[in-house]
Amino acid sequence: MKGSLRLYGAALKNTLASRLAYRIDFFLSVFIMLVFELIIPFATFLIYRSGGAFPGWSFGEVLLVQAVFLLAKGVVNPFFAGIVWNTLIRVREGTYDLLLIKPRSVLFMTLLTSIDVEDLGKLLGGVGVLVLALSGLPAAAPENWLAFVLLFACSVCVFMSFSFFMAGSCFKWVGNSRVYEIFDCLSAFAMYPMSIFSKGLRVLITAVIPLAIMAFIPASVLLGKSVEYLAFALGSGAVFLAAGAFFWTRMLRSYTSAGG
Amino acid sequence: MIKIDNLKKTYVTYRRGERFLDVLKSMFVRKKVLVEALKGINLIIEKGELIGLLGPNGAGKSTLIKILTGILYPSSGKVECLGFVPWRQRRAYVARIGAVFGQKSQLVFDIPPIDSFHMNRAIYGIPKADYDRTLKRMVEMLDAGDIIGKPTRGLSLGERMRCEFIMAMLHSPEVVFLDEPTIGLDVIAKESIRAFVKEMNAAGVTFILTTHDLDDVEHLAKRVVVINHGEIVFDGAMDTLKTHLGTKKIVRLSTHEPLPLLDRPGVEMVTRVSDYEADLELDLAKIELNQFIKKIGEKNTIRDLAINDPPIETVIKKLYS
Repeated sequence: MKGSLRLYGAALKNTLASRLAYRIDFFLSVFIMLVFELIIPFATFLIYRSGGAFPGWSFGEVLLVQAVFLLAKGVVNPFFAGIVWNTLIRVREGTYDLLLIKPRSVLFMTLLTSIDVEDLGKLLGGVGVLVLALSGLPAAAPENWLAFVLLFACSVCVFMSFSFFMAGSCFKWVGNSRVYEIFDCLSAFAMYPMSIFSKGLRVLITAVIPLAIMAFIPASVLLGKSVEYLAFALGSGAVFLAAGAFFWTRMLRSYTSAGG
Repeated sequence: MIKIDNLKKTYVTYRRGERFLDVLKSMFVRKKVLVEALKGINLIIEKGELIGLLGPNGAGKSTLIKILTGILYPSSGKVECLGFVPWRQRRAYVARIGAVFGQKSQLVFDIPPIDSFHMNRAIYGIPKADYDRTLKRMVEMLDAGDIIGKPTRGLSLGERMRCEFIMAMLHSPEVVFLDEPTIGLDVIAKESIRAFVKEMNAAGVTFILTTHDLDDVEHLAKRVVVINHGEIVFDGAMDTLKTHLGTKKIVRLSTHEPLPLLDRPGVEMVTRVSDYEADLELDLAKIELNQFIKKIGEKNTIRDLAINDPPIETVIKKLYS
């Protein structure tokens, strides 16, 4: 464990040093990532300001749902989500060879080489929106905060599992450069209160594909609202992560390398 | 040390025609082709050997190396390297091997090689004292003291390859796989790499060298394995490989008068440099050397005569065909 942490530290240092070789591009990228994350909350603000609303939800409450989504994404993207592009590129070029000749778990090596420090802008954006949302809402009880932390961890797990599924598909579906856009479209459902969707869709995005746990359920707990399928969503978050990691590992066997 | 028994690898690839219509058709239907990359390789490599693995493009060399390094699974057959089955006990096995790929860099492009070395130290869990000692030795051997602190992107290809070798040797591997390590290098850089490999081999490290550069093989390998169409077509000493052309010699002949017609049994024109100079291939089984010189001397005055063995390329081409 100590060795793995030391290795992660070395990888983080190298990634940062590598990215800082082009400082202007780095700072500009972080800034753009931050701004880009604020587009949906800003659009929501415009909807509420013009008199529109999501029924039963105030602007602050919707903003909290979006803040939780952006925060979880901000945690996952710099440290885990890069696995998708890393796998996509390495499979196409055959440079996975270089990870397979290292005496470490291939998944761990892939994560080490996937760290994307400019995505810290997304984390900053998530933190910023969360602070803004919380400032306009009544303070939650400590037990709600405790439940939120647990559920937020589940949210991160679901984000990670999606990364594993997308990356795993790149072993078979070589050069699948649109995979992340598919995920973006799908995960957009998670940025809004579930109550705006039909019951069938709610069941689908809570119990089957656990999108609701990415933001809606943790935010609802913090808001003191009652939540449907809570236990099921919690369980499916853990199962989804295990399934994602298993899928990635199985798909690794499809790796055929490339060229000479 | 390495035992390969009836190793086979088959994979699926897709083919299409070159016409525009074929490209359009390939959107819906692709012709599946089964490729037999390895057709039953048997090979034993002893500790401390330095083997040259030769073969034309698509012969199966890289597939063999990738199976031996635990990167690919074979379709069938057995492999035992250092007591491990590479693809089943990958992690334990790769800790004891090293690899240099001439066309795939292990260094991080935007930072100095020394940072990549530190990363490798953490990956392999090399104790600090061992790491410092090995790094110092490698840097001295490859004269890389001035370059390991510069960003990799600023290094020449030769400098980068020297750093790739350091990277591959830091954990003191027992077997090192070299896949075209001198590709694109100038003569000086090649010599530096070759001297390093020779010295490490003398220290007991086993090397398996895949290359298209026959000079590499001639300079380094005592044993040569030639692969073609997924099969071993030659396995033996370098000198034995050279004798494959039997009794042939290459003669560079210069005369004071225009060269006569040389179409006689056992003499084949390789290159006619000018009317007065030519490279000829003599088959000494059909014409003796002194008989050939005598015949030429009857009508011409010989200005110069150089007799050499056929180049190794000729032998390899003959084996490939």
